[in-house]
Amino acid sequence: MRPRLSCEGLHACSGCEIALLNSGERLLGLLDRVTIVHFPLLMDHKYSGQGEAAEIDLPEAEIGLVSGGVASEEHLAVLRAMRQQCRILIAVGTCATHGGIPALRNQWPVDQAIATVFSGFEGKSACQIEALVPLDRVYGIDEQVTVDCCLPGCPPRPETIVATIEALLKGETPRLPSKSVCETCPTVRTGKGQRTVRRFLANADYDPQAPVAGMRCLLEQGLLCMGPVTAGGCGGPDAPLCIRARVPCRGCYGPVRPGGNPLLDMLNALASNGSDHRSIVDRRSLLRFCGAHGLLKPLGKRG
Amino acid sequence: MTPEPKIIAFCCNWCSYAAADLAGISRLQYPGSVRIIRVMCSGMVHPEMVLHALNKGADGVMIVGCHLGECHYIKGNELALARAEVLTDTLEDLGFESERFQITWVSSSEPERLAEAFRGMSGRLTSLRRAERHQAAAGE
Repeated sequence: MRPRLSCEGLHACSGCEIALLNSGERLLGLLDRVTIVHFPLLMDHKYSGQGEAAEIDLPEAEIGLVSGGVASEEHLAVLRAMRQQCRILIAVGTCATHGGIPALRNQWPVDQAIATVFSGFEGKSACQIEALVPLDRVYGIDEQVTVDCCLPGCPPRPETIVATIEALLKGETPRLPSKSVCETCPTVRTGKGQRTVRRFLANADYDPQAPVAGMRCLLEQGLLCMGPVTAGGCGGPDAPLCIRARVPCRGCYGPVRPGGNPLLDMLNALASNGSDHRSIVDRRSLLRFCGAHGLLKPLGKRG
Repeated sequence: MTPEPKIIAFCCNWCSYAAADLAGISRLQYPGSVRIIRVMCSGMVHPEMVLHALNKGADGVMIVGCHLGECHYIKGNELALARAEVLTDTLEDLGFESERFQITWVSSSEPERLAEAFRGMSGRLTSLRRAERHQAAAGE
């Protein structure tokens, strides 16, 4: 019997699943070697209280992929069922590993966030969602269950997802990129940077005809590039994706050091090099992809 | 009785740790809840270490180094100061009161100054705790 593959998306946008489907010919090779038993994005499957079944009913699988963070009781129940049924559970995408964009919500108390987003007239919510029982914040899935492998990225590189599954099929430990974006970036560094950091309102300075390797490091140009603190691998063997587009890294792969705090690490890197960290506007947005694990919290009521 | 606020103090090997030694020899009094961690230089204390201490339940964290201009490694304490400014700004973003962190300079011949800094920090944290209790009681 071929190994079974089960995919589930929680608080996410389906982009990670699309990335898997976007892996070209390697996907065809993969489809010959596994049986997909559960993949709500591809095939209809009533499994969580829809139709007749009242309980969550997921099939057993050798490999389970879960994208998205955990934001509601429903997500939590589905995630626990996935953990129970899958021998190896992989967190796919930054939402699953670090909370991702949805975890920006963790900056506010949950009732305030919902009242703001679904605001109606005269203080009454326009949208009465009974099925949605929100948790107190958005969690990464590794905060709720044991995860065997974390694949960050928004989305992760298609080749990396397939390579990880193929390695697991062979019984090997997947080799994941562990370098930072800067370590995989070919731009020119001179060691003499700007003292201030500006927002990316005007383009970087570069010659459009020349390759990326001829461009000056964006951080040295005074742009807030999160390359130093962000896990690399987005570009594969080539330059990081955003740098290739001549745009500073936004940090979508999460912290390069496990358990790191990109906000603190980035400001620390700037301060250690003599840049003025106070020139950053809205520095909390440096946690835009990593709000889970308690990194983003509602501000204290003081002041 | 509530315990004294727990304070983690990173003291540099060359000035402030020697001052702590001298404070002990001189039998100076400071709160027993201060936990001193000796580091080679105040500049080696990464902000993550401070955050880790707070996340693990410390009430406050101090970095104590040589006076500016007297660093054993020439510029380590200037780096520590730059990092401390980042921390002071960022702690509030991360949900901690900025009073929970302090950087201060103590030379090896100033044990009284060190004990005073410890006492001051402990006092500030105690009043912070009192204010929090007060707020919590008002909120109920």
